Amino acid sequence: MIRWAVWLMASSGAAMACDADGVPMVAQENEAPAVYLAVGEVPLAQPFSMRVTVCDDRAITALRVDAIMPAHQHGMNYTPRVTALGRGVFAVDEMLFHMPGRWQVQVDVALGGQATSYTFDIAAR
Amino acid sequence: MKAWLVAAVLAMAGAVQAEVLLSDAEISQTLSFGPWPPQVRPDASNRVSGQAAAIALGAALFNDPLLSVDGAFSCASCHDPEQGFTTPQARAVGRVLLDRNSPSLRNLAGLRWYGWGGKSDNLWAASLHPIVDAQEMGHRPESLKRAISESLYAADFQGVFGDIRDQDAEMVLVNTAKLLSAYLETLVTPPTAFDAFREALARGDQAAAERYPDTAQRGLQLFLGRGNCVFCHNGARFSNNEFHDAGVPYFLSETSVDEGRFGGLNFLLSSAYTLDGVWSDDAEATGAWWVRNLRRSHADFGRFRTPSLRGVAETAPYMHDGSLPDLEAVIRHYSEIDTERLHADGEAILAPLHLNAQESADLVAFLETLSAGP
Repeated sequence: MIRWAVWLMASSGAAMACDADGVPMVAQENEAPAVYLAVGEVPLAQPFSMRVTVCDDRAITALRVDAIMPAHQHGMNYTPRVTALGRGVFAVDEMLFHMPGRWQVQVDVALGGQATSYTFDIAAR
Repeated sequence: MKAWLVAAVLAMAGAVQAEVLLSDAEISQTLSFGPWPPQVRPDASNRVSGQAAAIALGAALFNDPLLSVDGAFSCASCHDPEQGFTTPQARAVGRVLLDRNSPSLRNLAGLRWYGWGGKSDNLWAASLHPIVDAQEMGHRPESLKRAISESLYAADFQGVFGDIRDQDAEMVLVNTAKLLSAYLETLVTPPTAFDAFREALARGDQAAAERYPDTAQRGLQLFLGRGNCVFCHNGARFSNNEFHDAGVPYFLSETSVDEGRFGGLNFLLSSAYTLDGVWSDDAEATGAWWVRNLRRSHADFGRFRTPSLRGVAETAPYMHDGSLPDLEAVIRHYSEIDTERLHADGEAILAPLHLNAQESADLVAFLETLSAGP
């Protein structure tokens, strides 16, 4: 069974409307709060880091990060590390894309009593 | 689009036209296979990594049958320095015929996993396991400590690690493995014709790049494109150092199988000799993330680690069981692969390539340029 990298809220700090870095992720539902993904160069088969910013002033109760390679029907071989930095910003470390091609980053955000899924495609070369 | 299509010496009548056949995208991909050799930091989990005295003693022990309990063979018996640190046998011969091909021991520094099934996450553990495997060197820690203590190497050993009487048998075993690891880290294949081509592309030296044979360039194009080889064989080592089902049968007999990565993970997760264990010298436990955060899958069954292709022409036979005798057979395997042998829920990567004779020859020509040659 695939485990997800998950961060569960340990404090009641709320996410803020934000001045986010990165690119907007694609929400799977309408009217979802904006989520931004900041990622630099993605080294193939080597660990890299990302930053996820949730633009909402409600408390975030969980945030999960994963990635899959849709064309190959597989995901990552390791669970990445998610660390809450405060104000809706999360560091995501130990991501590893072990093959070149299109990867789909998946982020699930739980806030306000409901979860919303986001995706963003990254080409690993 | 061809990047460079200019003939080498158009003004000379009868001159052979040479060119770089690769597109801009292919050149960009090609640059990702270097530079070579890569910069590797000393192994923080091995306090003698990079130390000259440890490297010299490790080299001596590697070639000495002292490391087998009865003096029957040395590490070099299965990893012959004269044969690319492997042997021509399909499957290694220890005290019995083993299940797998002896992998080459070059370019091992800094990898995430070691062995066909990845049962080690560091090089000193990978060096340790054969010493105490009953089917291989057959030592117990106590017999190894006695052998080292009574050998000509005792003084040098103590010069590196201190008085051997202060070390329990397991510590002597681990320290011996760290000596071997320090030596193995130094085994690096030299730059090759491919590297000269890549370097020429990197600095925009068209004349130098054009010296790379057309047949190897066409093989490289297949490697990057239709062959899909680059999915797993990527980076400077031509390996993503992960685990895949290459469609090679993993039945050892009618009643037994080689579990591949599945078995490797079972071994790894019960091992005391990981980067997450007490025998690592790295207080920061750098690299322990991988063993702590592995994802397991039943599809790991029958998966094997992607081997590096550096020096590949020197290390026949091929695949985890040595079942393919030469590079032509490897190309034929992927060209005619039986997808029925692949996991039904595995990766959707492999399909028969249906290469013609010229394409197969081109791929072999490319692979041969990853070796320095005689």
